[in-house]
Amino acid sequence: METLWLTVLGVLTVGYFALAGFDYGTGLLLPFRGREVSLRRMNPFFLGNEVWLVAAIGVLFAAFPRLEGELLSGAHSTFTLVLAGLVLFMAAVQLRLWWWLVFTGALMVSVGWGLFLAHLLHAPWPVAFVMPVLFAVHGWVFQTRRWKLFPVTALLCALPIPLAFSSIDVTGLMAHDDTLGLLAWVAIPIIPLVVLVQWSIVAISSR
Amino acid sequence: MSAVDLARLQFATTTSFHFLFVLLTLGLVTLLVVMQTRFTITGAPVHERMTRFWGRIYVINYALGIVTGIVMEFQFGLNWSGLATYAGDVFGAPLAMETLIAFFLESTFLGLWIFGWGRLNRWLHLALLYLTALTAFASAFWIMAANGFLQHPVGYRVDGNVLRLDDFGALLTNPTFTSALTHVVFAAITVGGVFMTGVSAYHFIKRTPEVDFFRRSLRMGVVTTALATPALIGAGFAQFPVIAKFQPDKTEAAPWIGAPLGFMILIGMGLTMVSWLTLPLLVKDAVIRMRFPLYLMVIGIPFPFVAAIFGWMFREIGRQPWLVYGLLRTEDAVSHVDASQILLSLIVFTFLFLVLACVDWVLIARAVRRGPDVAPAPVSPMVVTL
Repeated sequence: METLWLTVLGVLTVGYFALAGFDYGTGLLLPFRGREVSLRRMNPFFLGNEVWLVAAIGVLFAAFPRLEGELLSGAHSTFTLVLAGLVLFMAAVQLRLWWWLVFTGALMVSVGWGLFLAHLLHAPWPVAFVMPVLFAVHGWVFQTRRWKLFPVTALLCALPIPLAFSSIDVTGLMAHDDTLGLLAWVAIPIIPLVVLVQWSIVAISSR
Repeated sequence: MSAVDLARLQFATTTSFHFLFVLLTLGLVTLLVVMQTRFTITGAPVHERMTRFWGRIYVINYALGIVTGIVMEFQFGLNWSGLATYAGDVFGAPLAMETLIAFFLESTFLGLWIFGWGRLNRWLHLALLYLTALTAFASAFWIMAANGFLQHPVGYRVDGNVLRLDDFGALLTNPTFTSALTHVVFAAITVGGVFMTGVSAYHFIKRTPEVDFFRRSLRMGVVTTALATPALIGAGFAQFPVIAKFQPDKTEAAPWIGAPLGFMILIGMGLTMVSWLTLPLLVKDAVIRMRFPLYLMVIGIPFPFVAAIFGWMFREIGRQPWLVYGLLRTEDAVSHVDASQILLSLIVFTFLFLVLACVDWVLIARAVRRGPDVAPAPVSPMVVTL
């Protein structure tokens, strides 16, 4: 059960960062690139990543109830930054009034995740800049359509936080098997289904 | 203010903002199902244009509502870690069901609906909207199941100092869940009806050339409101015996708690009466030619939203001092964080949500003013190109 749920959580988190990386990366590169084209290229992927984040937090809550609260409240201000950045980024992309709001939102989210990484690793705060740099590189690969590099930068964005997370010992922090068994029936078929439908969205919008 | 007061204030603010978006989303998706079904069967262009126009407003509202939902979800861990620690095994189950079966799928189906416009088979495209609506209501189902547990905990056993899931079925037959779910669903449909009526009335006030389009919309809005409000009120009153049984001291939780309840009932009664009075006036468009009811319809838009917030205030404040009724006190569930941290996040999010509500308003108003397109243009790419 423990391995199963760590895997589910890992897949969801990797899904989020792999999909979100080039969104935020695109935002970070806005001052340097054609803004209209950059944002249009991002359209079919926009909002596609947040659902993975929401699912990951849902699983964290139900499967690791004794960990979720401590983890989130232990980095309260960091998550305030991440969430504020998310709100700003998503609203600004849709409003399309001032591009620098999109940039600011992306910067806040990515620095926020960087700070969370530093927090997990007990590393000094400059480590936080790892995430914005990785997102920016991933965004650049996406915008310049260097598809051969794309899986590499996607993994680079996706892996740091799940890897840092794996250093936590979850023994005794998980829900009882009664809860986990019930949820397994739901979580396992849903993830491939979402991947399939999201893939269709991308395929259909590039037709 | 103490950490617990700030955390409660933040929860109230986040939930209230979030619920405004939820109501309109659920209400509009129900009406869209009707419109697109009619289009798919008849192939009449007016139904397609209606689906497109109202669908665009729906998508705007959905996309911005998601953001409030994310903050909502994180908030449990950020400010109320005691809840997960103590009751996460039980309360977490419906919550995770919501994120996985409902929201995760809902957004994805909706995405395919948006980008599949005009590119997919008509029936397949309709099926996607049905799936979106179904998963949207599933979302309400699981959230209310989780909230029902907080009002009247069932299906658990005590194991040391935590709760364990004992009987998942009991969570789904919990009387504080079932009665409230019906109430919430009809509240959302009422919001959809009132919103559609008001927006259509606005276009008649502006002497729209799209008479057929907005006549149909206005009728649909009025009929929906007239059908939904009696059920809404019925489901509302049906909750009083449940409350009397499981939370007998609810009305004494705060001295003023009767006020929001009273206002909510007043608004509900008012909407029922007005919508039924309007029904005969739909004949030969009397209500449109009279003109003054049109202004009342526009003014009426905020009322069901306000009523819903009042309803939640009664339900949630009335549960105090308990977070999980009879088991976990609110003050014992708050995270061990500094009050200043909660204050910071409270200020940041309240400000951002105000901005977000304004952005939603501006974008919807822009879409409403633009009216239905004469030449078909794709609803998508997201809200951006509207």
